[in-house]
Amino acid sequence: MSFSRRAFLALAATGCAASTAPPGRKTAPLWFTYGGKNRQVLEGLVKTFNLSQGEHWITPIYQGDYFEGLAKLRTAIAARRAPALSHVVGEVVPYLAQADVLEPLDDYPGARQLDIVPALGQAGSWIGGAERRLVALPFNRSTPIAYLNGKLFAEKNLAAPKTWDELRAVARAFTHDGRHGFGCPIDWWFWAALVGQAGGDVVEPDGRVSLGGEAGERALDFWKTLVLDDKSMKPPPGRDYNAWEQTNQDFLGARVAMIWTSTAFLKYLEENAPFPVVAAPLPAERRRAVPTGGTHWIMLRAAPAEQKPTAWAFLRFMHETANAITWATRTGYMPVTRAAIAQLEAEGYYQKHPNDRVALDQLGVARPWPWSPDLFRVQREIVQPRLEGAVLGGKGTRQSLDEARALATRWR
Amino acid sequence: MRPSRRFDPLWMLGPTLVLLVVFFFVPLLQAAKSSLYEWDLLTPPRYVGLDNYRALIDSGELGHALSTTLIMSAVVVVGSMALGLGLALALNRPTRFAGFVRSAVFSAYVVSWVSVALLWLWVLDADAGALTALCRALHLPTTHWLGNPKSALYALSGVTIWKIAGYSMVLFLAGLQDIPRSLYEAASLDGAGAWQRFVNVTWPLLRPTAAFVGTTSLIISFQVFDVVRVMTQGGPVRSTSVFVYAIYEQVFLNLRVGRASALVVVFFVLLLGLTALQLWAWRKKGAA
Amino acid sequence: MSGRETRTLRSPLTDGVVNVLLGLVAAVWLLPYLWMLSTSFKTLPEIVRAPTAPLPSGLDLGAYRAVLESMPLARYFWNTTVMALGIAFTQIAVALPAGYALAKLKFAGRGVAFGLVVATLLIPAQVRFVPVFALLAEVGWVNTMTALILPFGVSAFGTFLIRQALMSVPDSLIEAARMDGASELRIIYGLLGPMLRPTLVSFFLFSFVYHWNDYFWPLVMTTDDAVRTLPLGIALLREQGTGVRWHIVMAGNVLLSAPALAVFAFAQRHLLRAVASKA
Repeated sequence: MSFSRRAFLALAATGCAASTAPPGRKTAPLWFTYGGKNRQVLEGLVKTFNLSQGEHWITPIYQGDYFEGLAKLRTAIAARRAPALSHVVGEVVPYLAQADVLEPLDDYPGARQLDIVPALGQAGSWIGGAERRLVALPFNRSTPIAYLNGKLFAEKNLAAPKTWDELRAVARAFTHDGRHGFGCPIDWWFWAALVGQAGGDVVEPDGRVSLGGEAGERALDFWKTLVLDDKSMKPPPGRDYNAWEQTNQDFLGARVAMIWTSTAFLKYLEENAPFPVVAAPLPAERRRAVPTGGTHWIMLRAAPAEQKPTAWAFLRFMHETANAITWATRTGYMPVTRAAIAQLEAEGYYQKHPNDRVALDQLGVARPWPWSPDLFRVQREIVQPRLEGAVLGGKGTRQSLDEARALATRWR
Repeated sequence: MRPSRRFDPLWMLGPTLVLLVVFFFVPLLQAAKSSLYEWDLLTPPRYVGLDNYRALIDSGELGHALSTTLIMSAVVVVGSMALGLGLALALNRPTRFAGFVRSAVFSAYVVSWVSVALLWLWVLDADAGALTALCRALHLPTTHWLGNPKSALYALSGVTIWKIAGYSMVLFLAGLQDIPRSLYEAASLDGAGAWQRFVNVTWPLLRPTAAFVGTTSLIISFQVFDVVRVMTQGGPVRSTSVFVYAIYEQVFLNLRVGRASALVVVFFVLLLGLTALQLWAWRKKGAA
Repeated sequence: MSGRETRTLRSPLTDGVVNVLLGLVAAVWLLPYLWMLSTSFKTLPEIVRAPTAPLPSGLDLGAYRAVLESMPLARYFWNTTVMALGIAFTQIAVALPAGYALAKLKFAGRGVAFGLVVATLLIPAQVRFVPVFALLAEVGWVNTMTALILPFGVSAFGTFLIRQALMSVPDSLIEAARMDGASELRIIYGLLGPMLRPTLVSFFLFSFVYHWNDYFWPLVMTTDDAVRTLPLGIALLREQGTGVRWHIVMAGNVLLSAPALAVFAFAQRHLLRAVASKA
């Protein structure tokens, strides 16, 4: 499509989506934290919603990345200017629920008939999630997966590694002439995956922050081996989403043969790679395990009451089969309703796009988070900096994790 | 002069004083009080005494913020003073070209920090940026300027120097122009060369200006925030977590207002010390 | 301008060498901006292929269109200008009578008042933002233009400047005006204000540009698009996860830097005077 035509359509779309609603509509703001391609898909769906009925109007407002957006959301709640609708990462939902800022959704019309994939909804995302009031609906749900440079792997006739040892070997095989075999952001999410694979849990179901115990150390040591000993893993520099972006760019530039990142980037990578992209599940050590990621829809209690029915109408819209399919197939996130998955299977979509199936199949080994209000603090303040320090800064594994555990118990 | 009506000073200074109290002094006291509580903005505050200070010291965060900020300040102050002085000396000539170059250098001071940060984010891009390309062309070693924990802070310092060198330059130029030509003429009549003229005439008379420029740069460098937020977000591995950024992070990302207030109190005390330094330097300049 | 180096050491050769060096200096400060401008006119494939090519292959406006599509640019421009104007005007309006009282009138407590104004130089935005935010949240003024303007209503620097300038105005002038029946209000805004025009213009420009460029305070005090300012909006262009689109970021940056550079180009003298007078 020529640029001017696309620009015109996009302008028209934003003109409709971002500017003021036609008179007579009930409006509600949606604060979102996507950039790039996923943002366009979301804004397209918002526009479809706005134009497909005459009662409600959603105004999407971009707020930066997850962390910036979360900061603004909490600020807005404190300043009593909360939006009706937003989305947040799973680790922070228990905290917000405990602070009593989330609108319970159980009693909204049609809430119980949404037919959500159990592992993706509240029931499956947190231990004991089903017994609590419904406050979160799945939006963009993901698991980490492995992406392989199809051309390089075919040349060496190698397959996706199924165990940690195989991963080490494969990474080494591709590390030469300035290229690295493996790349992965040094991030809590991937570490949690490794901990699960090593047989442990980051936070015990009773809320005790064990950081996986011995499994936690083995996970960290595995990274250190790859980065410092084998030098087959390229640690992306930068923080938070800068690091994730760098990993993607390294993969696309064929500087790294295999990466771990979110299934969220599937379409982006497939469309921009000058080689075939092969998605594969993560390997096992003692067992297969992955955390789930992405965000959940939440409604804010402090928002004006008139906005809430509009927000709810949009949430139901997003759970309709056609829209759930549009969202999932254009980004790489998993479809959130069973009906959507069934339809895609019936259409033969997964035969044509086997990469899309990988994340879905991993749901069987997805580990839920504990319903712990401290989880996001543990992640952000205590663990994340220490992961970086241990792998990139050379600090001792046991020392780093012991420190982290001590801090987690002392400074609640 | 006497006021024409006795209560005149009241309405003349009223708005000023009300605004000062409401937006400066009360917040300062509030910050000190908040530092003794634990507060996340969403739930009521909880008294914790000096725990916040203890936590900041024990976790090393206070020390880290201090050392990161001090390193950056040292580099920025020395760099911008040296560069500013050098530029002032070189550009202290009446040609149109010199005027043009002066404007070019000063222009960086006029745009926003965000503008400078985004610009240098691109220039310092490890793969596609101009600096990397330049180094490769000159066969110099390159690194991931902003992503390497060892170089990130210095990269940010360099960007800061680039932005404020024009300010130092203008101040030094003003100082240079206050030096009477007769002193130079007398010195060269005595047979002094360019270097000796600098050491014996220029520098002694410029010292108060230099002290002023130094302390002003110091205070600017202590308040650096925008470049950190836009370019590195405190990373990699917290190597660019300067004081103001640490305060921001505690409030908005960690939701620990009490701890942020403790950092604010320490920061305020530091600024007091620095300003005392500036006053001392200013008095020296006035006396000279 | 005076105080130049003596002419005796200049020769065509040293002049030439110095000019080359000066040219290099200018390059260090101008080339980054020129490269930014050039990048903003490229397309993404072009950037991937040849990021450091000095000139774009054509003047592609796609990046600028993308910036316009992704944010309400006009609104941000408007918000920023209104805010900066509001602050600069308020500061002058408040500082004129204050400077007058501090410079010209004898009254009990003058020293204390002056001391209080001085003291605020020690309390920068980063020290006061959390309590101010909490206060404004209490009254529901977060994310409003008031939150952006009012906390900056007083400028200690401006108050000084005006006080300084007024101290050199002869008392007799004011006494004469009083005897003519002018009220103090009239004297301050009608007589002295216009007399101080150069000072006020310099200060106005300085304050306007400073606050137009401000990132920290609007970052803290705004939560959505309603009063979001341009620096915040442009900073949001560095999107994460799917590759930074440099041409778009640079286009946004061109739009952000242009006004400040334009003001600088037209009003250099005034700005320089304000900066130099701080010393």
